[in-house]
Amino acid sequence: MSPADLSVDLGRGLVLPNPILVASGTFGYGIEYGDVVEVDRLGGICCKGTTLQPRIGNITPRVTETPGGMLNSIGLQNPGVDAVVAKYAGTWAGWKTPVIVNVAGESVEDYVEVVQRLEGVSGVAGIELNISCPNVGRGGLQFAIDAGAAGEVTAAVRRATDLPLLVKLSPNVGDVRPIARAIADAGADALTAINTLSGIALAPSRRKPLLGNIYGGLSGPAIKPVALRIVYEVSQVVDIPVVAIGGVTELADVLDFLAVGAVAVQVGTAIFADPTLPVRLVDELTDECERRGIASYAELVGTALPPKPGAPSSKGVEYRP
Amino acid sequence: MTMRLVRTELVDSREILPGQWLQSFLAPELSSGSRAGQFVHARTGDLSGLVLRRPFSINTADPATGVITIHFRTIGRGTEWFTRLRPGDTVEMLGPLGRPFEVDPRSRHLLLIAGGLGMAGVRSLADEAINHGRQVTLLFGAASARDVYPSSLLPDEVEYVIATDDGSVGHKGFVTELVPDYEGWADQAFACGPAPMLAALARIAEGRRERLGVAKLGRKRGVGKPDVVGSTAARRKAFLQVSMEQNMGCAVGACLGCVIMGTNGVPQRVCREGPVFAAEEVAWESGW
Ligand SMILES: Cc1cc2nc3c(=O)[nH]c(=O)nc-3n(C[C@H](O)[C@H](O)[C@H](O)COP(=O)(O)O)c2cc1C
Ligand code: FES
Repeated sequence: MSPADLSVDLGRGLVLPNPILVASGTFGYGIEYGDVVEVDRLGGICCKGTTLQPRIGNITPRVTETPGGMLNSIGLQNPGVDAVVAKYAGTWAGWKTPVIVNVAGESVEDYVEVVQRLEGVSGVAGIELNISCPNVGRGGLQFAIDAGAAGEVTAAVRRATDLPLLVKLSPNVGDVRPIARAIADAGADALTAINTLSGIALAPSRRKPLLGNIYGGLSGPAIKPVALRIVYEVSQVVDIPVVAIGGVTELADVLDFLAVGAVAVQVGTAIFADPTLPVRLVDELTDECERRGIASYAELVGTALPPKPGAPSSKGVEYRP
Repeated sequence: MTMRLVRTELVDSREILPGQWLQSFLAPELSSGSRAGQFVHARTGDLSGLVLRRPFSINTADPATGVITIHFRTIGRGTEWFTRLRPGDTVEMLGPLGRPFEVDPRSRHLLLIAGGLGMAGVRSLADEAINHGRQVTLLFGAASARDVYPSSLLPDEVEYVIATDDGSVGHKGFVTELVPDYEGWADQAFACGPAPMLAALARIAEGRRERLGVAKLGRKRGVGKPDVVGSTAARRKAFLQVSMEQNMGCAVGACLGCVIMGTNGVPQRVCREGPVFAAEEVAWESGW
């Protein structure tokens, strides 16, 4: 039997060689790990959040370990879209692995402008909108927490580009389903979920918060159940592909996310401890398919979802914040 | 050597001071492929909740035996996990990482300054310098006698001068107070320790040329282009180089978790542009 088909179609021509990606902010621009990681064997790379203007990011400390996870408050440090294109796109163009540029902004116009500058750039395979950013135009409320704002920014970017468009959901919301639906209706090709959960840690003295920015985003194995719940909910209410992110550290996590409807997963924090994990997961998923005698990993997708993903249910969520 | 993942084996583990450990690992790739000032990112085997590796300065590296040592204080579950290792246990390390100290080939007299655990940051430079026939004076500061790094763990050739806060051994006061006695003798200085200590040293280094009336190391006046700030050439000419610390995620430059503010207004990655910086590259007053 030939190896199982691991390719994933995320729409608009974005076909990944396999469903194991690396998550934005944890793999830089794809070059930092050098020879330690076989970049050409990854399913996709989401690069660090990219903004219109350069950003120096947040005051330090920016990262700290927490039980089963970590908090980060990088503050979107990046050299700005033009520098990102100039420095990295040439390298990306030579890779087999598609690079998806993670885009952040403070206004709809920001997002549109960044995306326009990525349009047609060789080496840029797609866009992932990070909408967990304060919307200056709406008093600093995050795009991600409001279905209207999330739909609006998605629609504006959709009009501005033919690039494959992924939109990344925040877990810091009451009910994510209306937001997911608004984004899908606005023309996104795929959803990615989840971004980090808001949290804080204290300095050892307990006289102040530890992170310079006070707030950080929680990631790692600690957030996997939350990510699993959100992917479970979202994949039942949208027809576009869902890419799962949150606490993947082993094949079992990949299989769990596939079972609740994800067609691919991103590995983030786990890379820091185990840089070769994503490539190993590709091999392990191949072996798993062979062990089960299936021709495509797609048979593993959605097995834990209710039989008929019918009309959105009002009682589907056990957890009510 | 470019960084790689290296399987190392613990060969010795000792509590050299209360709560401070010196561990030796068999790691030939790292012992011969690293330079003083570089570090490793070691993976704990406790996978129950520790999701990050731990960065350790390469405290010593002996290419002859293939052994490197790390020196750390137990400050949490990660470092405690390391103290429970037994000879024969394996630890996976990513390394060597970061940029090393850059000694000017003309420097004969090196002043090393360490505060507490900062010893681990400069320790290997003492070996490297002595192997190159240089003279080394090491100024060391600690709270009290019980925290003083044992002189038996240093090469005989090193002149070891101690300061303690309580005066229980050596000079009573800050280690930085010892520097004026040596700044005329020293061709270059290399430091690691708490940020306030390094900032104080940077202030001392800044006024040094005027005080001593010595010529700046480096290009002859008016000849050639100035070196790019942060370049190896520029660092080699810097009087003071400091090894900085910051919380880390990836340790390879990917996550931007470990930055300090640079004088150029751009955050500098301690894991990549550092951990060693020329003192003038660091914006000491930035509050970062
Ligand atoms: C250090 C760090 C930086 C991150 N930066 C970004 C970013 O720039 N844009 C973004 O959309 N997500 C960013 N994330 C979130 C991750 O992409 C991912 O959604 C999250 O960490 C959950 O996955 P994990 O548990 O596998 O890490 C970052 C996460 C970490 C840990
Ligand atoms: S620790 Fe990730 S960039 Fe330095």
